[in-house]
Amino acid sequence: MLALAVRSLRARLGGFAASIVATFLGATILMAFASLLDTRGGGGLDSTSRNTLLIVAVVVGGWGLLIVAFGIAATLTLSARQRANEIALLKSVGATPEQVGRLIVGEAALVSVAAALAAIVPAMLTGRLLLELLQDTGQVGETVTYRFGAIALAMGLGITFLAAVIAAVVAARRAAAMRPAESLLAAAVDDAPLSKRRVVIAGVFLFAALNTAVTTITVFHGKGIDAMQTAGQGSICAAIGFALLAPLLVRRVTTRITTRIARAGASGYLAGLNVSQRSQQMANALMPIILFTGIALGTLYMQSIENGAPAGTSGETVAGAKNVETLNFVIVGMIAVFAAILLVNTLVAATVHRRQEFAQLRLTGSTPAQVRRMVTLESVVLLATGVLFGSLAAIFTVVPYNIARTDSVLPDSAAIYVGVVASAAILTLAAGAGATRRALRSPAVEAVTV
Amino acid sequence: MTDIGAHGRAAVRLAAVSKVYGTRDNTVRALDAVSLTVPSGTFTAVMGPSGSGKTTLLQVAAGLDEPTSGDVFVAGVQLRGNETQLTEIRRDLVGFVFQQFNLLPALSVLQNVLLPLRLAGREVDTAGAKRILERVGLADRLDHRPAELSGGQQQRVAIARALVMSPTAIFADEPTGALDSRSAADVLALLQEAVRDFGQTVVMVTHDPIAAAHADSVLFLADGRIVGTLASPTAEAVAERMTHLADADGDPRLAMAGGE
Repeated sequence: MLALAVRSLRARLGGFAASIVATFLGATILMAFASLLDTRGGGGLDSTSRNTLLIVAVVVGGWGLLIVAFGIAATLTLSARQRANEIALLKSVGATPEQVGRLIVGEAALVSVAAALAAIVPAMLTGRLLLELLQDTGQVGETVTYRFGAIALAMGLGITFLAAVIAAVVAARRAAAMRPAESLLAAAVDDAPLSKRRVVIAGVFLFAALNTAVTTITVFHGKGIDAMQTAGQGSICAAIGFALLAPLLVRRVTTRITTRIARAGASGYLAGLNVSQRSQQMANALMPIILFTGIALGTLYMQSIENGAPAGTSGETVAGAKNVETLNFVIVGMIAVFAAILLVNTLVAATVHRRQEFAQLRLTGSTPAQVRRMVTLESVVLLATGVLFGSLAAIFTVVPYNIARTDSVLPDSAAIYVGVVASAAILTLAAGAGATRRALRSPAVEAVTV
Repeated sequence: MTDIGAHGRAAVRLAAVSKVYGTRDNTVRALDAVSLTVPSGTFTAVMGPSGSGKTTLLQVAAGLDEPTSGDVFVAGVQLRGNETQLTEIRRDLVGFVFQQFNLLPALSVLQNVLLPLRLAGREVDTAGAKRILERVGLADRLDHRPAELSGGQQQRVAIARALVMSPTAIFADEPTGALDSRSAADVLALLQEAVRDFGQTVVMVTHDPIAAAHADSVLFLADGRIVGTLASPTAEAVAERMTHLADADGDPRLAMAGGE
């Protein structure tokens, strides 16, 4: 089955593009930060340098790891789901559920290892850049030399591999357990209820978000920037929790928004039908919008609150604040960029997969413009839902941190909010429109048979 | 070309239509200056060996593909323009039935049948669509999804979807190719009924002599050209003619016709 996995990967590398991109970027980020621990272990470092490097690496351990692992898992699950037809075919020619499982897990393992290996050099460059940044701001001694070693490799390869394999095992179990006819039906209808386990995991993430929010307000109130240690994770955990519930959110919330704003014309009618009946497909697009909005809002606001807040009472130095500011902007930047790429990546993969559906629509008489309008309307209602829950997720970071630092509930400035929502809108609409344009390029009679 | 309207004599007319595929050094002439007229209210079958150009003929005649040269008219309207203009012409004048049904999986049977009306911005005639679905024997399946139906049932939905627009011509590409013989017979009977009872025009590509025998006349295609016609066909007569075409394939002069 591993041999089949290799051949299958080679034959349809395009289908794995989304997973490869997410894994590659995720591994780059993980290894870049983990290499700071290698650097720290280099010996001959003063205690300030050691301390800074540890904080930088560990903060990312808490934030980056979560979002990277989730991103890798989400794209892999998407690509496994999109192959229901192929899996049904394999089963019908005699593949046992175990063999199908080994194929899916084998592919995921290969993709993750290959992408993580490819990420080593970019991670070295990024890690070196991080160190230089820390040295330029005087937080790490000038004499410290950059090292990339065992910790970076172990964390980078290990975490990407684990995230990929766990996601694949879950996807494989779902795919393998179905009868071939069911798999085909599931591929077509795709509105199965959320599994209990998924709801439980989402609950755990939301509870963790609530927990960090409460800790931030109670334990870290008035303790200055130390509150960041817990506050930052709030929006990330909440965003992941909401993202896991995405199919439910599509059914309960997006459908309501749709009946308000997208009723007009045939395109609106189709968009409404797709939203109400292909909740899984729509959820795939909704997840990255929630993640991007929630994480970008949470972390950017946290930093802007910090910049405007009075110095804390716990006696941290100006250099300490400076330390966290630089660090935070780098992390916020990297994580926001990762979430943005995940957003575009997933949307494009989800849309390109609809080539056949678009072709069928065209053969039924819809013009290319009607198909594009349908996708745009879907994007708009998903965007509205994603921004709503992304904003809710951000509250888990923004409100506790603002209370802990300034004793008021909400920050004064709306500029970051407008900026993040505008970015989410531009990315969502552009990714959907671009991928649709591409999917419409080939003649309908050809595309329909793919 | 004057507009002779949907009820004029010629539903579909091809004038010296050629279709060439491939690059400069490696061209395949799928259609070679084909001219033909399909009279309104008739059932025409198009037959020929693999690679004879019958699917290309259907796609060009239906406005799904552009001819390299020559003109195509449906109801006197020339099929030309960009994809949006072609779609608008197609959805008013042409209905399709494909081998793989091509129903939208997220839509119910009734929604699939009503979809062309919605896309064209016409009045959504639910009662009319239900009447047609009753006619094709699916009155009790209105709210089912395509994946819950048999192949024969799906193809009957596809026929209902084609009929709902009252097009000038319905083009069917191997409509029975994916069906068992009983479902195939049902589908062919429906297409015949559409012609006899509703005055529809049907053009069907098939490789099955039994399917072709349901038509009023058969066009034989080889090497991208029309090489014969047969009125009031029987399965035996069609099969015999096909055997001759296959023999001609062995002729080095006609070797191209046999290629896949």
